[in-house]
Amino acid sequence: MSLRHRLVTVRELIVHFARRERAIFVPMLLVLLLGALLLGASTGVGHVAPFVYSLF
Amino acid sequence: MSAVLGVSAFHHDAAAALVIDGVVVAAQQEERLSGLKNDPRLPTRAMRACLGIGGLDARALDAVVFYENPYARFARVLEHAFAEVPRGIFRFGRLCEPMLRDKLWILDALASDLGVERSRVEYVSHHDAHAASAFFASPYERAAILTIDAVGESTTTACFLGEGTTITQLEQVASPNSLGLVYAAITSWLGFEVNEGEYKVMGLAGYGAPNRVDAVTRIIRPRPDGRFDVDPRFLTLHDEVDVGFSYAMVELLGAPRSRTRSWDLSSPDDRGYADVAASLQAVTEDALVALARRARARTNADALCLAGGVALNCVANARIAREAGFARVFVQPAAGDAGGALGAAYLGAFARGARRSGAPFHPYLGVRVDVSRVRSVAEALGLRVTSLPTPATNIAERIARGEVIAHVAGRAEWGPRALGHRSLLASAARGTARERIASVIKRREPFRPFAPAMLASEVGRSFDEGADDMTPFMTTTRHVREEALARLAATTHVDHTARVQTVAEDSVDPFAEILRAMRATTGDAIVLNASLNAPGDPMVATGEQALSFLLAHRVDALVAEDLLVSHP
Repeated sequence: MSLRHRLVTVRELIVHFARRERAIFVPMLLVLLLGALLLGASTGVGHVAPFVYSLF
Repeated sequence: MSAVLGVSAFHHDAAAALVIDGVVVAAQQEERLSGLKNDPRLPTRAMRACLGIGGLDARALDAVVFYENPYARFARVLEHAFAEVPRGIFRFGRLCEPMLRDKLWILDALASDLGVERSRVEYVSHHDAHAASAFFASPYERAAILTIDAVGESTTTACFLGEGTTITQLEQVASPNSLGLVYAAITSWLGFEVNEGEYKVMGLAGYGAPNRVDAVTRIIRPRPDGRFDVDPRFLTLHDEVDVGFSYAMVELLGAPRSRTRSWDLSSPDDRGYADVAASLQAVTEDALVALARRARARTNADALCLAGGVALNCVANARIAREAGFARVFVQPAAGDAGGALGAAYLGAFARGARRSGAPFHPYLGVRVDVSRVRSVAEALGLRVTSLPTPATNIAERIARGEVIAHVAGRAEWGPRALGHRSLLASAARGTARERIASVIKRREPFRPFAPAMLASEVGRSFDEGADDMTPFMTTTRHVREEALARLAATTHVDHTARVQTVAEDSVDPFAEILRAMRATTGDAIVLNASLNAPGDPMVATGEQALSFLLAHRVDALVAEDLLVSHP
């Protein structure tokens, strides 16, 4: 899956949650997405992994 | 030309379906090609099979349509996860992980796997896909549509009106009010596997008495307006895969049944479990009939289409047809999640201006058996291979002698039921072949019935009711006449019903030829029709899989179109 495709999904996901009744989930959603991106990056790019370890 | 590929995946029963100019040209479940029962993974093999059947490259597709809104499902998972905080904080990770790992990225995965632009990958809502799979495959121009399953994004039950090329949702029921989840939870309580054992519960119900209805109606509470409520205290709802029952259900119904213990319906213990199954079936049927009557009142339609996993409950479908007030009822054979791929494809096609063809729906939409390949592999394995000038007559004579025949022909059927193209065939009257299939080949529980297939002309003298729009697809049952019990002894359930498949008298299909040959040989155009698969395996799709089955199981012969293969 290309990063470009994933960014389309992230945009669609944020649009879906950008409604008043779901806005409460947005902060957690951003944390989860950041975690997912970091996990994806750390498994794919070796030099990122040590930084992920130190942060989490 | 418009070409739309529909896809279902990532929950259970992944599948793909191809609709060209409003006509379904191919539909294939992934499990048949991967060999993994209920395979939920991205249906790469099925997608390629559909494109191959349609003669298309993926880049020629106008759209790829997924059968569910992944963002709405994720929102529901988050809502349920929050509902359990702080008590269920440790479940939060387990609930979110599948979504973040792959389910959220399904649209990207489809674009990458097929090599198409991401902009051409779309989604529809889950229950819209179910509704479309039934209505657009039906012969009706106008119909009420009822979709009932465990849960889609958040909807569990919905009523639609279908007219021409459009479906309009009229009302819906949201999680946790779910007939499908309750049925699944009690399936699990009875010791069966969820999403696989529900039809076993249906068979078990025939051996029980509905004397626990009071208990079950504390879980599924009917409303006067035809809808229902589910008390969520009896379920563990939030894990999508491992649907379970809570301690409250154990207190209500008793100790759950062990999965590893053999069934003995002469024991009071197992008869008690059968009573719960019967009670669950009765309450579920009551709820479905009430919903159907409500749909009739809302739409004033004469016809009804049913879809969603609960629509695979053929016993309930028969009761709906008798009692809900509709003149006609239709259930397409892949009514569960696999059918969502077909519905998604239909929705994508009609949104692009395709028209309904009006051609009758037929279930033989999968991969074709390669007979030349069967011959070459069989000969290489040292099996006896014979060309048959009259295969139907040969099969009928063998069945009349008590043999069990594995039969593969043409394209594989769509849906969980064998409809003659990937079937084990035997006498519907004699018990010995039936026992061999049940005990030796399939090693089934003793309460599970087998099903008959017959030409339409046999229906009147076999059953109290005639054929209808569901009988060609084995999605309903019929009550067997007393005078027909001997002819249908091997395929009649303990409650004197049978889940029959009817075949048109003038059909040119190879299966119809076999039934006509049965009439010429035995006087009855009837066979026992069981699915061609081993325990725990999906139904075979290819000739090689059929040969593998022949080698591993005690069937008398495999007939692949005009080729007879047997042990040396």
